Amino acid sequence: MLVAIEPKAPDILSPIRHRAEVMANRRVATETWWLELDSPEIAGRAEWGQFVMIGFGLEHLAPPFLPRPFSVAWRAEDGRIGLLVRAFGVGSRRLAELRAGEHVLLLGPLGRPFRLEPGSRVVCVAGGVGLAPFLFLAGDARRQAFDVDLLYGELTADKVFDAGLIEELTGGPPIVWTEDGSLGRRGRVTEGLSVEGRVTVLACGPTPMLRALAGRAAREGFDLQVSVEEHMGCGVGTCQGCVVLGADGRWKKACTQGPVFYASELTWSPS
Amino acid sequence: MVPELRQSLFGVEFQAPVLLASGTCGYGREYAGLIPLDELGGLVTKAVSVEPRSGNPPHRVAETPGGMINAIGLENVGLDAFASEKLPWLRDNLARAHVFVNVVGRTVDEYAAVVSGLDDEQGFLGYEINVSCPNVKGGTMFGTDEAALAELVGRLRSETERPVIVKLTPNVPDIGIYARICEENGADGLSTINTFPGMLIDIQGRKPVIGNVSGGISGPAILPMGVYLTWRAATACSLPVIGIGGIRSGEDALQYILAGAHLVQVGTALFVDPAAAATVQEGISSYLVDAGIGSLSELVGGLRLPGHAQV
Repeated sequence: MLVAIEPKAPDILSPIRHRAEVMANRRVATETWWLELDSPEIAGRAEWGQFVMIGFGLEHLAPPFLPRPFSVAWRAEDGRIGLLVRAFGVGSRRLAELRAGEHVLLLGPLGRPFRLEPGSRVVCVAGGVGLAPFLFLAGDARRQAFDVDLLYGELTADKVFDAGLIEELTGGPPIVWTEDGSLGRRGRVTEGLSVEGRVTVLACGPTPMLRALAGRAAREGFDLQVSVEEHMGCGVGTCQGCVVLGADGRWKKACTQGPVFYASELTWSPS
Repeated sequence: MVPELRQSLFGVEFQAPVLLASGTCGYGREYAGLIPLDELGGLVTKAVSVEPRSGNPPHRVAETPGGMINAIGLENVGLDAFASEKLPWLRDNLARAHVFVNVVGRTVDEYAAVVSGLDDEQGFLGYEINVSCPNVKGGTMFGTDEAALAELVGRLRSETERPVIVKLTPNVPDIGIYARICEENGADGLSTINTFPGMLIDIQGRKPVIGNVSGGISGPAILPMGVYLTWRAATACSLPVIGIGGIRSGEDALQYILAGAHLVQVGTALFVDPAAAATVQEGISSYLVDAGIGSLSELVGGLRLPGHAQV
């Protein structure tokens, strides 16, 4: 059983690089795996929305050669971290095949986390495996007496991560949306967002979803933080590979200036 | 017996033969705490141009078989910010590892402005002149034009007493010609090689994966080409050569050293494992111990060619 630990104050420590044992890897929905790794140091330091680079090391020439970024989805008192893996590329497919006892190379925790404003209601909007960072954020925030809604959208019911497990991890039921209506409410998860009073909206998911929310945030004037995704090389700001366009017209590094940005910090070009 | 890794080059002593390659270690500080920088031979900074450059649109990187493609586009903070914000950290935090500043420009004057602008600063040993970036318009111009290269190297020689290393492109029919041009015009050394141009296509979208359309290929896939071109360059001139391309182990580095390199650079491997440079350095030491070789310098250029070989 995973037991949540309380978040620590943000720090400026260097990330940790270590070889981590796979403790468990189980399929939790169509093409979706819940991967648990033994990583006490990362578990003890990861903050909401931070990520790890996960790879196979220098000996491994078969794809994936480069490590891949994954949001920390869970951290437990026993030193495990959990990642939510959807298999759609060579990197994620290989991660889906991992078995308990295998080892991976981890670097983390990395990146700028989500920030909550005291006294503000929190609405998490998750598209697909964008659910990952909210699995530990929602539970932590609720324990800190934040009022939290978790809106979770998938295309179809078969892709929905076990709602019972989400409730167990986060301390409350998610509001599930599917685009075909096969589970929960029918439509896009962004339709479920109602913004009244003082609210902080946090979002993680496909770029079109983030773009739609950013448009609403600009029109309706609410605070929106988004976790972005971009091809990444190093994860620590050296290669300058993972850029997104800032509102000031300058490129911003998703790995160190993000992955969490205020939506107002970025340029949202039409799709 | 502890093997001797030290070598005297460019007027100083390198405590070890492994440097971090330009573009893969930022300005050093990004890897502080993760890589024992001051135990390495040194590092080469991200390219510095006179003015800040914003770089290319994403995607800028993607995986390729046995490596990666990148088209960052020489994004950098520019000469002034480099001198005031980046160089002081290197000066204050690296006592033993040597720093080369990678220099780029669109014209001879731009290269010269960077060199003359930095020359009185502290915190670095010399310059690595980038005439070989495939990801900006004209980026390889100086590296593929014999007269332009001669003019550039000669001009930079007149601007500085510090070591001037020229990082050559692999995209020429005979790298030896360019190696000799560098030597004849006063360069102190060569770095071989920069990335190979390449392209990846997304067949679903029928579009290039990389925002810049094409990019440079690096990583283990290019190791044999790097070894070959290092050997060609090292045998074509008498300049010390720094071998680069796909190095991820001591054995890989030793191939470059036997081909004629005095030093090596580790780049893309750092993204796979930040411990890569230390791993390479330890691998070289282990090899020397196992082979009963007292000093690394005994191996430099120690390739044994078969008797029938025509060089």
